[in-house]
Amino acid sequence: MIEIRIHGRGGQGGVTLAKIIATTRFLKGDSVQAFGIYAAERSGAPLQAFCRYDDQTITNRNLIYEPDHVIVLDPTLVPLGITSGLKPGGWILINTPESPEHFGDQFTGYRLATIDATSIAIANNLGTKTVPIVNTALAGAVAHMLGFTMTSVEKALEHLGFVGDNLTAAHQAYQQVNMNAACDPEAITVEHPVIPKTFTPGFLEGGGAQMPRIITGQWAKEQPDRQQMVPPCNHVCPAGNDVQGFLAAMARNEVDAALRTLLQSSPFPSICGRVCPAPCMDSCNRIHLDGAVNVRDIERSIGDLGHAEIKPIANRDERIAIIGSGPAGLTAAYHLGRLGYQVTLLEGGDELGGLLRTGIPSYRLPREVLDAEIERILLLGIEVKTGHRVSRQGLVRLANEFDAVLIATGLQEVRSLQLGLDDTDAVVQGIDFLDQVNRGEVRVDNEDVIIVGGGNTALDAARSALRLGANSVRVVYRRTRAEMPAISEEVDQAIEEDIAIDYLTMPVSMKPLGENGRHVLTCRRMELGEPDESGRRRPVEVSGSDFDIECSRMILALGQSQDMSVFPEGTEVRENGELIGLLEKPVYAIGDLATNDGTVAAAIGCGRRSALHIHALFTGEQLLSAQHDDGDVVRQDAMRMHLFEKQARDEGMAITAEDRFQSFTEVHQGLSGEPSHEAQRCLSCGVCNECDRCVTYCPEGVLTRVGHEFIFDYAYCKGCGVCASECPRNVIFMSRL
Amino acid sequence: MGLELVTGNHAAGYALAAAGEANRSARGTACGIYPITPQTEIVEFVSKYKFTKGRVIPVESEHSAMGVSLGASLAGARSFTASSSNGLAYMFENIMVAGFYRLPIVLTAVNRTLGPPWNIWADQGDTLMLRDFPWLQFYCETNQEVVDSTLLAFRVSEDRRVLLPSLVIMDAFIMSHTQMETDLPAQELVDAYLPTLNLPHQLNHERPTTIGGLAWPQETLSQRVEVDRAMLAVNDVYEECRQEFITIFDRDPGAPIDAFETDDADLILITSGTIASTAREVVRQRRRDGMKIGLIKMKMFRPFPADDLLRACENASRIGVLDRNYAAGMGGVFWHDTKAAFQGQRDNVLIQDYLTGVCGGDVTPAMVNEVIDDLAGRTKAERPMWKGIEA
Repeated sequence: MIEIRIHGRGGQGGVTLAKIIATTRFLKGDSVQAFGIYAAERSGAPLQAFCRYDDQTITNRNLIYEPDHVIVLDPTLVPLGITSGLKPGGWILINTPESPEHFGDQFTGYRLATIDATSIAIANNLGTKTVPIVNTALAGAVAHMLGFTMTSVEKALEHLGFVGDNLTAAHQAYQQVNMNAACDPEAITVEHPVIPKTFTPGFLEGGGAQMPRIITGQWAKEQPDRQQMVPPCNHVCPAGNDVQGFLAAMARNEVDAALRTLLQSSPFPSICGRVCPAPCMDSCNRIHLDGAVNVRDIERSIGDLGHAEIKPIANRDERIAIIGSGPAGLTAAYHLGRLGYQVTLLEGGDELGGLLRTGIPSYRLPREVLDAEIERILLLGIEVKTGHRVSRQGLVRLANEFDAVLIATGLQEVRSLQLGLDDTDAVVQGIDFLDQVNRGEVRVDNEDVIIVGGGNTALDAARSALRLGANSVRVVYRRTRAEMPAISEEVDQAIEEDIAIDYLTMPVSMKPLGENGRHVLTCRRMELGEPDESGRRRPVEVSGSDFDIECSRMILALGQSQDMSVFPEGTEVRENGELIGLLEKPVYAIGDLATNDGTVAAAIGCGRRSALHIHALFTGEQLLSAQHDDGDVVRQDAMRMHLFEKQARDEGMAITAEDRFQSFTEVHQGLSGEPSHEAQRCLSCGVCNECDRCVTYCPEGVLTRVGHEFIFDYAYCKGCGVCASECPRNVIFMSRL
Repeated sequence: MGLELVTGNHAAGYALAAAGEANRSARGTACGIYPITPQTEIVEFVSKYKFTKGRVIPVESEHSAMGVSLGASLAGARSFTASSSNGLAYMFENIMVAGFYRLPIVLTAVNRTLGPPWNIWADQGDTLMLRDFPWLQFYCETNQEVVDSTLLAFRVSEDRRVLLPSLVIMDAFIMSHTQMETDLPAQELVDAYLPTLNLPHQLNHERPTTIGGLAWPQETLSQRVEVDRAMLAVNDVYEECRQEFITIFDRDPGAPIDAFETDDADLILITSGTIASTAREVVRQRRRDGMKIGLIKMKMFRPFPADDLLRACENASRIGVLDRNYAAGMGGVFWHDTKAAFQGQRDNVLIQDYLTGVCGGDVTPAMVNEVIDDLAGRTKAERPMWKGIEA
């Protein structure tokens, strides 16, 4: 009887190799057995398989303790006692690229054969590259080694259903096996293996079943690592806020820490927490579960409730002029001030804030909130000059006088419709109307007011008119609600306030109606056609659909464009806002003037980038982190959404529609519950929050967390990838070794 | 099919499926099944099998598996299932029902240690847990014996004189996962050997009836007496079915006990399952060395073949029982029943118990030799001896 013992790892096909050898002999008419030792059949665990064959009927049912030959599927198993009980003069076949001579006199007393079955298996696409299945190749090597004919192995493989590449692999190994039959069996004495009879105390003594630890060594073909990714909110935030970061701090109820995180990028948490269209919420992965995290209201709470002291971190000599005190100019002043620069802020009007003050009504942004956040900036030591409108010549002078100039004058050019009464009191520009509103210089008692446009200015004008005594307010917009640029919540609130909105409607002419100050606005119905360059569907006129609306006045809110008149002739504005054609000094257009983005958040982002850019010019220090690669952003499909429980979103509170009439009291009142509670809804997409699910699920127990460090014990890690597949937020990745 | 190299699980799956298929001209086959290590390959085999009539139904637990088989069998289908260890424990309640309902279901059980601690290796404790219920029990030694005993079990179980379910049993891994040459008989031969099932109490919508409702003590007692009579009939029925098997398959499926060199033996080992193979070789060697020693392999454990055992041990003065099981507070179950068979019949025989291979340990020739040496030197029996551990 010949007995063969096979040393392999789970998944390598050791038991099947025993079966191939057994089948080869079975087809020759021998009595055979093929079996394995089974345990918790973990991929990669060392295992043994056995094969017996004899021309007499086999009666022995034991494991094989003293084999005639040994086959080793994985060379990393060689140190684990593969010669135990092996009879002197027996063959040892090792799957390795090395030659028998490589092993020196390690196996004195035995015959040694080697074959690179792994390469043969990979070359023949057997198994995966990670776990190549080497058994059919080894069957060819065994055949040569034990003197079976290749034909008999072929028959066995075919009998077992192995075809094609498996047969090729067996043939190749039959040819390539490297054998060294020289040995001196007399040189060694083999000890008979002792079957342990040890008594091991049980549960009462603290014993019991223990999972064996397995050194995976070279066997593991992949290994996990933790890598922080980019949450979609952070990716899209125009202001460059670490949204996930301040939500995480707020979730821990650390409002001051949350505010410090926000103030790293934006000086306006309380303002953005009120007026930002919040693209972070549009991209929030939680939308696919139970609604986006109410980031805007959380930011507002942090801005309103948090305390943080802001000081310059250095003292520098460079003097920088900033023209315009809207959000872009103020943000640039804030960051330059923090970095220690001597900043002078020049404002054409008599108060700071730009459109924050003149363009946003106080029921959306109370003046004290605006004043407080501007005050925090000025405390950095910013020199302020109001009533200081800069002309072309002025700009050249500034460029000479200062080390750098930032121009943040925004969008000053308004668009108008030539409908017939443009130069009369019947037609007012929206931003002018809002400026008058904010100064308390206008009322529209008993008027029927029509607003043309669909942006925030249109809605702000409409809702302000309602508060200033209008009899009726009606918004006329060329497209549908879906295309409206205004913040959706503001549209909802306008509708709550009984403001009518005529979608798909365009004014075509306006005429006076007698002498009573009333007018007739003729409008035309529209329908949506093909998308235009902005991606929105282009409105197309419906012929013969004209109709008339009576009104007292029409407010135009059709958007603004850049006023280039401040720039010297011959200047061109580069993509990044830099002005070419001036002096040697850095002079930049920033904010809406440069980008025409039209949101406070975008202006903040631009102001910050410009400030850091100036700083880099003067010092070479790059404080601006590189733009995220879109591929690093964790989207919903990379999240394990099923692991998160639903929790209703805090929609925030508003005063009733009745309370809004005749009143500029702030409409939206912020979150109804604890800010930390809503912040806890953040899924922390792509940012490890130490939930420890990976540690819990590691089947080998080789992943631990010490403090904030995750430690992978790669010596014992088999690279199964469970930690990566169980991570709810896509921060553990497998890499090939 | 002919001679194939297959595992014990494959052998069992083949025999179960062939037996089910053999009922295709009657009510076909139907059963519930649920996997458990080390029996899962059986589930895979029979689930893939394309029955001409009927099917195997995957369910959510062992309890339901037997539930499905109960219903199918009552409806006249040839029914079987397979399980192991804690799976059998979970099936337990419905296993009793099959016996008391008198349904000829065949259950392949792969002996595996009952946990905890979790242990997947061979130990007979799971099937011996069922020893007191109306089931026949056949312990197999080879993959061939699994095939043959399965077919035989259907014949015996379905005989009108018996009508009791059968357990056909093999050792975990040592059989279930070991490939050995095995003759898988052609379907025509199985068809010839297994007549279609004709259950006397088969459910019939024209004759509505309740089976297993409330019964008075005397009525229940009557049913127990019927079970006893059926058990008593097994020996004769078995022998008839065995002879017919030899006629059709040209192979002996084996007697209820397999006596090896016992005629003049003074010292006899009794064991079951794969230990019998190893022990037989040791006994053969000891015979060559001049020892008057024999071996009895217990194939049938229920009904307990006491008369056969007494006859085979006529000249023995010492008996050593090798038990791969341990009944807490008592010892080996085979030993216990052997002692009961001898009690009052042959009181002068020394019967010693050896707990060998319990919880899946390997029973080696060396261990069997230790047993023989111990038994030969004894003057009286003691409490069961643990082997393979310094206890």
